[in-house]
Amino acid sequence: MTGDTQPSGRILDARLHLLDHQVLDRDDVPVMVVGDLELEDAEPGGPAPYVTSLVTGPVLGARIFGGRAPASRWQRLPWRLVADVGVVIKIAADAESLDLAWVERWVRDQVIARIPGGRHGP
Amino acid sequence: MNRLLGVALGILTAIGGFLDAGDLVTNAVVGSRFGLSLAWVVGLGIVGICVFAHMSGKVAAVSGRATFEVIRERLGPRAAGLNLVASLAVTVLTLIAEVGGIALALQLASSVDHRLWVPVAALAVWLVLWRVKFKVMENVTGLLGLTLIGFAVAVFLLGPDWGELAAGLAPSVPANESTTTYWYYAVALFGAAMTPYEVFFFSSGGVEEKWTVRDLATSRLNVLIGFPLGGFLSVAIAACAAIVLLPRGIAVDSMAQLVLPVAQAGGMLLVAVVIVGIAAATFGAALETALSTGYTLAQYLGWSWGKFRRPAHAARFHLSMIVALVVAVAVLATNVDPVAVTEYSVVFSAVALPLTYLPILVVANDPEYMGEHTNGRALNAVGSVYLVVLTVVALAAVPLMIVTRAGS
Repeated sequence: MTGDTQPSGRILDARLHLLDHQVLDRDDVPVMVVGDLELEDAEPGGPAPYVTSLVTGPVLGARIFGGRAPASRWQRLPWRLVADVGVVIKIAADAESLDLAWVERWVRDQVIARIPGGRHGP
Repeated sequence: MNRLLGVALGILTAIGGFLDAGDLVTNAVVGSRFGLSLAWVVGLGIVGICVFAHMSGKVAAVSGRATFEVIRERLGPRAAGLNLVASLAVTVLTLIAEVGGIALALQLASSVDHRLWVPVAALAVWLVLWRVKFKVMENVTGLLGLTLIGFAVAVFLLGPDWGELAAGLAPSVPANESTTTYWYYAVALFGAAMTPYEVFFFSSGGVEEKWTVRDLATSRLNVLIGFPLGGFLSVAIAACAAIVLLPRGIAVDSMAQLVLPVAQAGGMLLVAVVIVGIAAATFGAALETALSTGYTLAQYLGWSWGKFRRPAHAARFHLSMIVALVVAVAVLATNVDPVAVTEYSVVFSAVALPLTYLPILVVANDPEYMGEHTNGRALNAVGSVYLVVLTVVALAAVPLMIVTRAGS
């Protein structure tokens, strides 16, 4: 159904290979679960469209309850960061450096890191 | 010793399923009302949890993926979300009961009112979640929980008529109980044996311990020792009650009555041993359910999780466990009976059972995940039969609970 913009343009089944799969960063830290896909050149009956980004965040609610999340609130992971699609999706970046990790960062900085021992290994 | 410690994960997981605060009391209730005529359900439950825990452990070891990640991937966000809500309800209700159960065990030992022990118990659970290594946690609670073997010792010390006890194993409804009540307890025991948080905890524990294909034997050993041991101890508790309480017509309704047969059999010393076991089992089950809350949420939503990471590197995972413990303390502050709380978890368990075990069976058959370790035919046959049983139990649980007014 979909391909990527990299050399080979691998054909992927959105439902089987991408949707609801776990995304890990280069150190195997979980980043997100793919909630939805952003496509380019999607025309009914046309050639396979390209995936431009993996989306997470409020799109999950839209998939469960129906409706559409406003595009401004989508949290996107650009497809060019994707390094491998297998049982999990690996990206070639640190989770830390991504915009969509802001909730995790906020909880860490405002709550968890302030409790004594929060920054130490168990 | 290393071999023994190697199966600590299985023992701790089984404690949460068969010997948590609610089950300790339910086993004694069942023994005092039905004798051993429901022991076959525990046997059925042991085989079922062994089959599916084996598959989830295998998936974790071979693909490094914990069960709830697989559930969302295979069922999609809607069905997995329904499972998440139902499982979280079971898990948090059980956590409430466990924190209350630790407090009750401490009351048995200290005579200080259990309501005063609740915040202390919750704080102790949190400190272990926050600071203690997974390995140390499972070894200590697993080994101390083994002192529940005191119940089996008590059965021998009571010196029952073994022929009569064995005859009582045959499934039959006692004259003074109704058939629906019998089946309600059968469903409750089966649901407790196969509670979903066991496979969530077991598979996530495998990931925490960084299992690989080479650890498949460890996984199998954990399953084959842990769950049958847990089931055996739960039958021993029922047997104690059946020998001492059933002939005298004493109905169990609190944790203190649980140790009456033990006191009669082995005096204060054996009671002390068993109380250590009860405290360790409820504490272990509290850890298991609190962690399962974090695991399921984090795996469904794709957060960073795991006790092997620093809390700051799994911030939302730790925050959700803190919230769960705060909820537990708040609910217990309303003076609710901690043991009664678990009775209602049967309802949520019913919804979650098929939705949990179907995806495990599907992924254990997916060669992309499992390679050469894909399920064999025999395992699939047993797994499929159990899925049918689980669906029947899921459909029957709620009507039975309403008809029997939760077994009363």
